[in-house]
Amino acid sequence: MSTNGQNVNTALPTYTKKDFESGVDPRWCPGCGDYSIINQVQRALPAVGVKRENIVFISGIGCSSRFPYYMNNYGMHTLHGRAPSFASGLKVSRPELQVWIVTGDGDALAIGGNHFIHAMRRNLDLKMLLFNNRIYGLTKGQVSPTSELGKKTKTTPHGSPDYPFNPPALALGAGATFVARTIDVEGAHMGGVLKAAAEHKGSTLVEVFQNCPVFNDGAYEFLTDKAVKADALLRMEQGKPLVFGKDGKKGIRFNPQSAELEVVTIGENGVTEKDILVHDAKREDPTIAFMLANLSMKPGFPTPIGVFRDVRMPTCEELTWQIIDGAKAKKPDASLEKLLAGGDTWTIG
Amino acid sequence: MSNANSSGTLTGSHYLDGDHACSEGAIAAGCRFAAGYPITPSTEVVERLAQRFPFVGGRFLQFEDELAASIALLGGAWGGAKACTVTSGPGFSLMMEHIGLAAITETPCVFFNVQRAGPSTGLPTQPAQGDMMQARFGSHGDYRLIALCPNSPQECFDLTVDAFNMAEEFRVPVLVMLDEVVGHMTEKVVIPDDAEIKVTERRWTKKPPGEFKLFAPAEGSLVPEMVKPGDGYRIHVTGLTHDERGYPKMTVPEHEKMQMRLWNKIVLNADKIVKYEAKDLDDAEVVVVSYGITSRIAERAMQQARAQGVKVGSFRLITAWPFPEKEILQLSKKVKAFVVPELNLGQMVLEVQRIVEGRTKVVPVPHVGGTVHDPQVITNAIVGAVR
Repeated sequence: MSTNGQNVNTALPTYTKKDFESGVDPRWCPGCGDYSIINQVQRALPAVGVKRENIVFISGIGCSSRFPYYMNNYGMHTLHGRAPSFASGLKVSRPELQVWIVTGDGDALAIGGNHFIHAMRRNLDLKMLLFNNRIYGLTKGQVSPTSELGKKTKTTPHGSPDYPFNPPALALGAGATFVARTIDVEGAHMGGVLKAAAEHKGSTLVEVFQNCPVFNDGAYEFLTDKAVKADALLRMEQGKPLVFGKDGKKGIRFNPQSAELEVVTIGENGVTEKDILVHDAKREDPTIAFMLANLSMKPGFPTPIGVFRDVRMPTCEELTWQIIDGAKAKKPDASLEKLLAGGDTWTIG
Repeated sequence: MSNANSSGTLTGSHYLDGDHACSEGAIAAGCRFAAGYPITPSTEVVERLAQRFPFVGGRFLQFEDELAASIALLGGAWGGAKACTVTSGPGFSLMMEHIGLAAITETPCVFFNVQRAGPSTGLPTQPAQGDMMQARFGSHGDYRLIALCPNSPQECFDLTVDAFNMAEEFRVPVLVMLDEVVGHMTEKVVIPDDAEIKVTERRWTKKPPGEFKLFAPAEGSLVPEMVKPGDGYRIHVTGLTHDERGYPKMTVPEHEKMQMRLWNKIVLNADKIVKYEAKDLDDAEVVVVSYGITSRIAERAMQQARAQGVKVGSFRLITAWPFPEKEILQLSKKVKAFVVPELNLGQMVLEVQRIVEGRTKVVPVPHVGGTVHDPQVITNAIVGAVR
């Protein structure tokens, strides 16, 4: 591979947030959740230990996709839905780069749905930030694949008749090795999730609940409003019991009879802290992670935020090299006779 | 028979089909990234790349569809690799979006289209030349690119090298427009030593970060230089109308400036780009304009017509786009007729008619595709054109 032999692994400068700002003032609507996301990303990057010019941001089309314009990196603003595939091509050709994808719910899950699942299953080391505002913002307010059932938008004026995607569940189903969720207004939480995402090697989805103040304002008030937050949010922390509620007495228990997760209260009906499911994002089997991801779709359950899954598996680019080395070891040359006799030939008796 | 040399080029004399000759041409030209999605009759190109790439440091990945493959190709190219994808009609339709993105972002890349009969799924295993106008106009908006049409496995090799070279020279998508017969016919292909193969490398800038502009033409040229990630440059690449730094600038003057340079870097360099093969034109009364497999059939027809006393010459398109306007215009002033056989119901003939402007007769010899012309039909058109 031609790399021009330059400075991929030379000493790392000390960066500050400012080093990741392009100098172009971000232009989203006043109050848009995207401001807080870019702020957290720019704060997280100095600590990831990668040279600025070896970090690539690739976006598709939509409000979120203006992101690379404002980042002081190698930025590519590509086409609607196609960022994961563009990123895959770049990552395969330059595995040493840290590649981030910035996308939205329409970009990633409607027009780009197919690319999304395949990027997740391949386990290329691609880090996707999916800004989920449950609406088409750039086109001014149409239903999106994450809009709630019954949602009234400009193209569903009488209510949406279709069921939404749950992005973490979709990513887990597709085989993503890192899946997390955070919220635009939870800055510290987002910072932690971004750090973990940056450290992970493999297909990475970070869903960010993002408020669109113009076309879907208050979409996440049921989680972020101070009055309800404690009961509505389940903060998943590695190795800790899945508890929530104002006094931390509510918890998630796995019910072996129904094979479902249920909400219980510590101290009631003989429930003790030992009954509460301990969060383990490192479980290779994604079943529990999938059940947790789906809690947000079930009435009466809290919405989990944090890391659902963080499992290290050989990445597509690592496997590519193994396969290439294996092929080289078996076939030291590529003479035409060997190519012609290389498999699909037979003798007629 | 020889082994691939250290650079991967399969120097020697071989018996190859057109598809495989394209793969070898790509490797010889330095292509080290390919993305694809299987589709008849083009898949052999990437199958061979997948087989060969491990030994030459290249990487191939099969994607989930042609949309993904063709944009992954652009990702590979922006990673710094010479890159290609390979497809046929239905996949080519899906790839139009990325031909447009490659045009506006000035991404050097190569698309192979082994043409089969359409529209839609059509005749997947049988030849046509029905995508020639799609090659020119398929993506929305105004743009220019380069399209080549080989007529033999040898030319598949040679033109593939040219395609990669021109992609780099003009920072433009180059289309190699085969047809099923050329893709699947097996003939002798001579692959020269590396020293004899002219390869154009990507033009990496020597300007430092801060000074370098990704979309500002290099001095004395209409084509900008490039950088790749890791070289220390912050860049921004977008499908929006942009300024010389690559930042979105959605004003009419900025749009005009960008558009006209994209247009002119091809149009004003047409003399450097256009290739054709002329035969027996000196005394010709009739000129057969043909390309791809149809040019091979037309050769037989021209022999038959000459045997009947018709002074017929051949103008074979090697470059379809940009079209050799100047050459056809000159010919139109001295010949009695053009005969244009092609495996479609009239596509490149429209270009001939446009340039000839009624000065002389233009006789289309259309064919729906699925097979090639009966040479007699072309012979009759040649003879009929002057009698």
